[in-house]
Amino acid sequence: MKVKYLITIMLILIVTGIKAQNIVGEVEYRYRIFYAKIYSSMPYLTQQEKDRIQLSMSNPEGYSTRMKLQFWPEKSRYTFGDPYEVQSYSSQVEYYFIENNLQEQSYLKYMDQMNKTYIVRDSLHAPKWRVMNEIRDILGHMCMKAVSEDNVKGQKITAWFASDIPVSVGPEEQFGLPGLILAYDINDGMLIVEAEKITFGEPKELIPLPKKMKGKEISGASYQTLVKEFIQASIESKAAWMWDMRY
Amino acid sequence: MKLFLPFLLLIAITFSSQAQSKLTIRGSVRDTTNNPLDYTSVLLLSPKDSALVSYTLTNKAGEFLFKNVDRQPLLIKATYMGHIPFQKELVLPESDELVVEDIRLTPILQELYEVVVLAAKAPLMMRGDTLEYDASKFKVPPGATLEDLLRRLPGMQIDVNGNIIAQGQQVQKVTVDGRRFFGGNTKMATQNLNAESISKLQLFDDKSEQAKLTGVEDGVKEKTLNVELKEEAKNGGFGKISAAGGTDGRWSSNGSYNKFDKVNQFSIIGYGNNVNESGLSWEDRQEFRGSGAFQFGDTGDFGFNSDGGYFIFISGEDSEESFEIPFNNLSSGFSNNQAIGINYNHLKDKKDVSGNYFYSRSDQIIENFTSRTNFLQNNSSFASVDQSLQNNIAGNHRANLLFKKELDSANTLTINAKGKLSTLNSSLNSFQELIRSSTEQSQMERDNRSDRWSGSFQGTAIFRHKFEKSGRNFAASISNTYNQADEEGIQKSVVDIVNSTDPTTYFRNLDQLNESFNSSNTIKSSLLFVEPIKKIFFWETFYNFSQSTSEIDRKVFDVETSDIRALNPDLSRFFDNTITYNRVGSSIRYANKGSNLRLSFAAANYSLRGQFSVEKEGQNLGSVDKNYINFTPNLSYLKTMKGNKRLNAGYSMGVTPPNISALQPFKDISNPLYIREGNPDLQPEVTHTLSTGFDMYDPATFVNFNFSLNSIFFESQVVQNQTIDPETLVTTFKSGNVSGGQRYNSYLSFGFPIVKTKVSAYLSANPSYSRNIALINSLETEATTLSQSIGGSLDFTPVDWINLYAGSSFRLSKTTYEQNPSQNQDILNWSAYTNMNLKLPKAFYLDVKFKYNRFENESFGFNQEVPILNAFVYKLLGEAKKWEFRLSAYDIFNQNRTINQFAGQNFVTSGRIETLARYFLFGVTYNMRGVEVKKLR
Repeated sequence: MKVKYLITIMLILIVTGIKAQNIVGEVEYRYRIFYAKIYSSMPYLTQQEKDRIQLSMSNPEGYSTRMKLQFWPEKSRYTFGDPYEVQSYSSQVEYYFIENNLQEQSYLKYMDQMNKTYIVRDSLHAPKWRVMNEIRDILGHMCMKAVSEDNVKGQKITAWFASDIPVSVGPEEQFGLPGLILAYDINDGMLIVEAEKITFGEPKELIPLPKKMKGKEISGASYQTLVKEFIQASIESKAAWMWDMRY
Repeated sequence: MKLFLPFLLLIAITFSSQAQSKLTIRGSVRDTTNNPLDYTSVLLLSPKDSALVSYTLTNKAGEFLFKNVDRQPLLIKATYMGHIPFQKELVLPESDELVVEDIRLTPILQELYEVVVLAAKAPLMMRGDTLEYDASKFKVPPGATLEDLLRRLPGMQIDVNGNIIAQGQQVQKVTVDGRRFFGGNTKMATQNLNAESISKLQLFDDKSEQAKLTGVEDGVKEKTLNVELKEEAKNGGFGKISAAGGTDGRWSSNGSYNKFDKVNQFSIIGYGNNVNESGLSWEDRQEFRGSGAFQFGDTGDFGFNSDGGYFIFISGEDSEESFEIPFNNLSSGFSNNQAIGINYNHLKDKKDVSGNYFYSRSDQIIENFTSRTNFLQNNSSFASVDQSLQNNIAGNHRANLLFKKELDSANTLTINAKGKLSTLNSSLNSFQELIRSSTEQSQMERDNRSDRWSGSFQGTAIFRHKFEKSGRNFAASISNTYNQADEEGIQKSVVDIVNSTDPTTYFRNLDQLNESFNSSNTIKSSLLFVEPIKKIFFWETFYNFSQSTSEIDRKVFDVETSDIRALNPDLSRFFDNTITYNRVGSSIRYANKGSNLRLSFAAANYSLRGQFSVEKEGQNLGSVDKNYINFTPNLSYLKTMKGNKRLNAGYSMGVTPPNISALQPFKDISNPLYIREGNPDLQPEVTHTLSTGFDMYDPATFVNFNFSLNSIFFESQVVQNQTIDPETLVTTFKSGNVSGGQRYNSYLSFGFPIVKTKVSAYLSANPSYSRNIALINSLETEATTLSQSIGGSLDFTPVDWINLYAGSSFRLSKTTYEQNPSQNQDILNWSAYTNMNLKLPKAFYLDVKFKYNRFENESFGFNQEVPILNAFVYKLLGEAKKWEFRLSAYDIFNQNRTINQFAGQNFVTSGRIETLARYFLFGVTYNMRGVEVKKLR
């Protein structure tokens, strides 16, 4: 309820038009994942195995994917961006699409996770953010630090939001801050998502809604239960779950 | 009625709290010059954990308004571009409206913002009125001191005397991790501390020493700089050492140490034993190679290989030519092994330098009993029995140096140098018998010795260029490999041939000395160009060149008497060969939505030139001058689908030119019972390979399935044709071409959990069929082998402390001889195994491994059973489990042999090698990281 109020106030403010140019636009993010760090944090490994993984698999640059977010005051769409390099090898088509509708306070996720395609629809629940006393500049926007936690995946999330872009959205599953989230980090560098390019104004090419959505329809709560069970079963059978699920 | 009063009360409470709980908060935000700041974010936070309660933006007049805010302790925070965020705790009024006094935002010093936030990309932290930042984000050259770092920080100055001036005031003392450093002498600290080891700098006003001592505040503040050092390098070292000794003089020891940080990786490893452990385990190898463990051998051979695959995997075999560090080559027999290795990797700024050196030595004794039955065309057969004792002492020095640098974002250069020096001293004593019947037998005793020394060097350079157009790539490579080998040996044999009537036969008693000096040099070069067409098509063009020249100088002397030697002109040979290979090809690739299709075509030209004489610069005895031109198509398809499913199919045509030694018209009689002869008319081997496969894995259910089928059709196959002398039973092998050979191999497996994470099962089947054709005494003979193999295993982990793994496999090979059906063979191999791993109380562990093998061949009445039982009890000691005491029992049933059996073109063999018998070891391990308890599988 409270969030809905906030949103309404925000929308009114925005619609009444103060510097309205930077509330619609497109952001390109670099999604950098550090598999060795994540892998070596698995609880079932011995210290020697952890050291061995760090020693032999560590990649200081991480593994990069370009992601794309389009935002409006009332909604956002997020999916893969153009690949950094044209690859002469094509791996399977993977879906990862998130639409957040701030007006109706609902979301739609269409994604390949845990070996299946899921269509998840539910109402938006923002993470519990705590706003910290740090500022950082990202692409000319002064960003404030906010932190939250994901207890299911065991993640400490550090996000940086631009208060001069007052749209309460962000990349991946992050949203609900007073400004656009331009960067976030999980567990001190296991995953780093950072904006590389912001283009304000109506996007030239809209991220299309997936055409024929084929997959398992499921509620947000049931999906969370699945994730929890998957992580538990993986850890019990000493398998690293991050290969099969978005971190 | 009774309920009415509480109900009323409840309503009243709810109403009043309702009325009290909602607040309206208003106020305005201005800058230091009193101008209203519009578009400023104003946040309400909970003071205890900074949780976000509500937020809004100011309007044009700089005003903000929060409505319906829950009554709770609140912190207000305002942030505006380029200004220090302001925050303060609100004092909640009695009424439901709160007017916050004007919030004034101070601009951040432009210098600070530009230097810290923009240039160094370091976040600014607000601590009350002061700003803090992370000094480690400032780039300083390697070896720089704290003073160099301070010079770069905004608001800091170093004066001519080396004093630190911070925000206009002199810094009175420097502390390291909160402690005084060299009596607080600032210069001592700034000039001696390494900038790279610093993680954080804090500047604050500290109380004076006097105030600290007396506890009386004297109002004097000292500017203090605190330096925090990095934690790293404390974590990056690990190692272990272990030693064990046991019955029958068995011993084993090994040790390793690794130290690494983000830039440097250093490893040292060593082992020694007489329990047949030669080579590193997978884990040891990973630790030893560090970040190089998963580097695939980039050989610079571009284009497709005959399998259509793109990657070339280097097997861990410790072959004569391999430069690789030996990996898991557990052998039978008895051996005494030692090795030591050093590896160093340096990775920085997209530059990768790594080098390693590995020395291994093994002294191996192999006692072998082989019996072989050879079939003759008239439904008769003869048997040969070979008893041999071999002793090989091998030493290998290997060194490997890799340099890889991204010159810029478009160009990458890789340089790799490898070297190897080997020595091999071997001796072979063998007693061979040919048995046709109880009265017709030939016997030979051999005594061969040789000393060999060889050296190889390989240098490779690979250059890759990425064009501006994404996907357009160019690569070029050049490599040179040089080998040299020097061998000396003696060869003695004493033969007794009952039926020999031919006085000119080579097959006779021998007493010879051999000397050989071989050298070869190979130059290779490849070019590759890839052009993308519409992001989903790729056109690749490649060119490969290779030329190898080799010289083989083999001298054989007959020992007439103890000190007179005569060169044997029939056996001494000098070869001078040049093989040149040119290939040009092109492929079209289609890569889209998980489908990868590649259609390739190449034209190759082989030129084989060689000549031979008895001695170097002697009279030319014969020459080879062959030239082959081939066109080879290649097709491959790979589809990756949702749910970790992959489908692949491919066709390739392979053309392999004959080995030049098989072309030389020359007889090799080093084993007088089996003579090898070259064939100058030999044509290349031409094969057509079809393969297909499918696999899937579901990580959610742990179900996996795998299927593959490979088939090879020989258009022209190089086989060893045999001529068997009916009298002496001496076999002469001569390479020849036949067509019609076929091979099929398929594999099917299915793994699934019976109880998730507790019990899982794995079933597999591996049927195969092969049809081999060869000329035996000029008659075409055909042998087909149909093998059926099935297996199953069960992995059982009911609770955390029990792990049980059991399985069985069964293989029946039926070999059919078209021309000799009475010799048809049924070979049966059956094995069963079980492994158990128990974690007992008080850090005791028990591992039991049992393996049972059974070998059967009915037609020979061959039936061997080998049950091997190994058991280990160990205990971990110490809180961090750094010590392990282990009692091991190997081969408890005292079986001491390894068995093999095989049915070939016109023969069946079965062999037995003596190996380590029952022994016990007791050992101690110390592991810096705590001992790793290995789970099964």
